[in-house]
Amino acid sequence: MAQLPDILFYVFAFLTLACGFLVVLNPFSTNPVTSAMFLVLTIGSLAGLFVLLHAFFLAAVQILVYAGAVMVLFLFVIMLLDLPAEERRKVKKAGLVLGLISVGAILTIMLQSLLQSSFSSEAAPTLEGSTIPLGRLLFTQYLLPFEIISVLLLVAMVGVILLSKKDLK
Amino acid sequence: MTPLNGYLLISALLFAIGLAGAVTRRNAIVVLIGIELMLNAANLNFIAFWRFGPQPEAQTGVIFVLFSIGIAAAEAAVGLALIISIYRHYKTTDLDRIDSMKG
Amino acid sequence: MGYEREAGGRGMSYLELLNLAAPEAIIALAALAVLAADMFALRELELHFRLAISAMISCVGCVAAIGWMLALPEHGNVMGGIFIVDPLGQLVKIGLLVLTLFTILISLESNFTVHAGEYFALVLLATAGMMFLVSTADVLMIFISLELTSLSLYMLTAFDKRDVQSAEAALKYFLFGSMSAAFTLFGLSLLYGLSGSTSLEQIAASIRGPRLDPLLVLALVMTVIGLGFKVAAAPFHLWAPDVYQGAPAPSAAFIASGSKVAGFFVLARVMATGFKGAEGSGAWHGYLPGWVPLLAVLAGLSMVVGNFAALVQTSVRRLLAYSAIAHAGYMLIGVLAYGGSGLASLLYYSLTYGLTTLGAFGVVAVVQQQTGGDRLSDFAGLSRRSPGLAICMMIFILSLAGIPPLAGFVGKFYMFSEVLRPGSPGMGLLWLVVLAIALSAVSLYYYLQVLKQIFVAPSPGAGTWVSVAPVTQQVVLGALALAVLLLGCFPGWLVQRLAGAMAPG
Repeated sequence: MAQLPDILFYVFAFLTLACGFLVVLNPFSTNPVTSAMFLVLTIGSLAGLFVLLHAFFLAAVQILVYAGAVMVLFLFVIMLLDLPAEERRKVKKAGLVLGLISVGAILTIMLQSLLQSSFSSEAAPTLEGSTIPLGRLLFTQYLLPFEIISVLLLVAMVGVILLSKKDLK
Repeated sequence: MTPLNGYLLISALLFAIGLAGAVTRRNAIVVLIGIELMLNAANLNFIAFWRFGPQPEAQTGVIFVLFSIGIAAAEAAVGLALIISIYRHYKTTDLDRIDSMKG
Repeated sequence: MGYEREAGGRGMSYLELLNLAAPEAIIALAALAVLAADMFALRELELHFRLAISAMISCVGCVAAIGWMLALPEHGNVMGGIFIVDPLGQLVKIGLLVLTLFTILISLESNFTVHAGEYFALVLLATAGMMFLVSTADVLMIFISLELTSLSLYMLTAFDKRDVQSAEAALKYFLFGSMSAAFTLFGLSLLYGLSGSTSLEQIAASIRGPRLDPLLVLALVMTVIGLGFKVAAAPFHLWAPDVYQGAPAPSAAFIASGSKVAGFFVLARVMATGFKGAEGSGAWHGYLPGWVPLLAVLAGLSMVVGNFAALVQTSVRRLLAYSAIAHAGYMLIGVLAYGGSGLASLLYYSLTYGLTTLGAFGVVAVVQQQTGGDRLSDFAGLSRRSPGLAICMMIFILSLAGIPPLAGFVGKFYMFSEVLRPGSPGMGLLWLVVLAIALSAVSLYYYLQVLKQIFVAPSPGAGTWVSVAPVTQQVVLGALALAVLLLGCFPGWLVQRLAGAMAPG
């Protein structure tokens, strides 16, 4: 049964990439809702990969925060604005081709450097119950970043309320 | 192929998919979704490096991802608010039509 | 139990952290105070008073933070590089606070929003982000504070809700910004993978030998994309013209000044500390891969794109934007002079540039409020409408062009001579300096174009004879112009401080 994680790895990897691909290029629909729903699936399969990597807490956070909160926000805004599907009109060919070429170039460089570099990667010893040290680190070593995140959330909150509220005159 | 390389490969591909979406799609919301994919790819990198790295007990990679998820959430909220405010003016989120400034 | 020991051992550092990070905390508290005051006490007052009271609270916060910083010890390092205090960083933070003060003061007469409290709170929180950015040697903190700054600046760009251009500029800024943040995060993840740590020194320690790991090169490029966006270097500058044109004038001024100073400082720190050992060489016949040739190319590109695109602009704000891109190119040359007092020259340049561009935007804001536009023709005859303003603008523009004896000239001279100093790592970059000087000559054309409108072109009809600018604006802009003039005539004051802070000890 040692093979199970390997099989799961391939399943989740395939799901992640396939759903990710359908997020940006769906041959059947250009509706933003479809993109958002496939993003949920991508996030879910990524959480599966996190579990395979023994990052259990993060897998939970990924589902709760991303698939739960962020995606609901996305869907809410899409529904609120009642966006139509992207029109299938003459796209600017030059821009599209240029974009795809640059993406392709970046991808090639990434894959090349990945294949050339050498990591001494032995499977790490199994880590269990990593949430307690995580919590402790958050309030010792990483206290300052933690506090800054709270300020950052304040900025987001103030800004979002300000921008999306209609000014009453 | 070592397991680490497998994960890095997935994350590189996911990053490229997200970038392609962000560069080629014209709907601002879908562009934002593409950017979320790119951020997620980076997160996967962090966790893979943490798991197979020299000192997993230091938890650095996990902490980084935790913060990055928080930031991504705030960023998405801000982005969507900006999209709402642009929608008020243009009644569209199509980036090709949002071009009042020249240069 | 290992955890207890760890927590116990670090127990003392909480107090130390609170003491060292108090300036940032004061700024954040001032932001909260402004928000609270606006919510509970100021709602019913006239906009003018709300702006004045909020600005006063903000200014008190900035001054208190500067005061606290003067009393701090010169060196400090808590939690393994998460928060560090060093003399140079302190000077930069004081510079940032001064820029923030002036930003607040030039916002005093603005009428683009009724949300005075939120506006000043976001300015302060952006400043806090920049201060954290300056005082860390850890990529996790760099990423978080970069995002704090960026998110606040997106909001400040979108602040004029009635204006289409403001919203549009903010959306473009946001989309480019978060894309480059994703690049940065990916690059940082590779750096973490290569070194197993997020501390810049540990990352540098993992770089061994002259042959660079291909992943390191990838990480380098992706990090540079993110930071290059922040400082508006070509080819990551596409957002800058729209943001400078569309954002409310004080926001644009803040983005052009404070955010640029912090951006360049952190760029120089990441490159010189984090990629130490991966410099490579950008010399004409001695190319070696590394960050020096990469930044040299960006510098050349920024100067060319910025200067030539500025030639054809008719909007003064867009002109300033392209000139900012060109200046980013000059400042990248300063980053390349990373050894010795090279960093001091870069900081002198960026701080004086910040003051100058703040002033220029301040004048544009006044003119725009009076004439309703920022076209070159809106400046026609400014010297007769309000001579004081015209003279201030002349000082700013000439300093940007690098005319002696103004600060812009001293900055360029100091920085270029640092790069070419014998023994400097940038010694092989003569080609870049020659290019910079040649393009500075080109830039004279468009800068003088603005001055020609102000001083020579006839005023368009008597109908536009408007009252002079508000007194506070005149005083603030005059103070900025005086600072630019004095820093140019007596550069030793700031230079000595910066060079002294560079000295090891």
